[in-house]
Amino acid sequence: MEVSHSIKERTIAENSLVILLQGLHGQVTTVDLRDESTATGRITNVDAFMNVRLAEVTFTDRQGTVSHLDELFVTGRNVRYVHIPDEVDIRATIERQLQAIHRVRFFGGRDKGRKEFPRAKHK
Amino acid sequence: MLLNIHRVQQTTNTVEEPLDLIRLSLDERIYVKMRNDRELRGRLHAYDQHLNMILGDVEETVTTIEIDEETYEEIYKSTKRNIPMLFVRGDGVVLVAPPLRVG
Repeated sequence: MEVSHSIKERTIAENSLVILLQGLHGQVTTVDLRDESTATGRITNVDAFMNVRLAEVTFTDRQGTVSHLDELFVTGRNVRYVHIPDEVDIRATIERQLQAIHRVRFFGGRDKGRKEFPRAKHK
Repeated sequence: MLLNIHRVQQTTNTVEEPLDLIRLSLDERIYVKMRNDRELRGRLHAYDQHLNMILGDVEETVTTIEIDEETYEEIYKSTKRNIPMLFVRGDGVVLVAPPLRVG
């Protein structure tokens, strides 16, 4: 599972719907941009700020001109819509992503590893 | 499908803040007014504190105003399209309401 290496990004993702987009890794989707252009391609990465990386992209600009790009990076702010493919089970995708984050968080078990939320030393 | 992500730890049944009013519309059809003269009508599957939303069976209406060059009258044109499942970024959302009833 592709979980961010940053604690801050994990927490942001865990508390918002971006986590669904992160679960769409590898899916071919269409992203409608704020400036009315659209990009259809395979999602390779989505971060907590909704920045999206796509591969094998068909890009249709505002005027309707179609072009093909190997890779495209879209800033989160410029996303208007993401079309979710019909085959995606939204609830299962979100739960899978949350489980991946929790696995990373609790890596090493109770007494090993660096704690994301350290236990108080004195109660 | 009911998904309440905006409050992760607890899910109360009372209405305490404006976002709770949206919670009442989960799994119902809603009307969303967006920036740039757009409107969405669809079934609300999920939302979060940014008003990012997942809408199913969506109809998007884009309204444009054209000015007739001779009479200078304003002609309202709207373009609709249907999308089965849509993720909407919250910063484009202006308001959320139950579907408007015409007439």
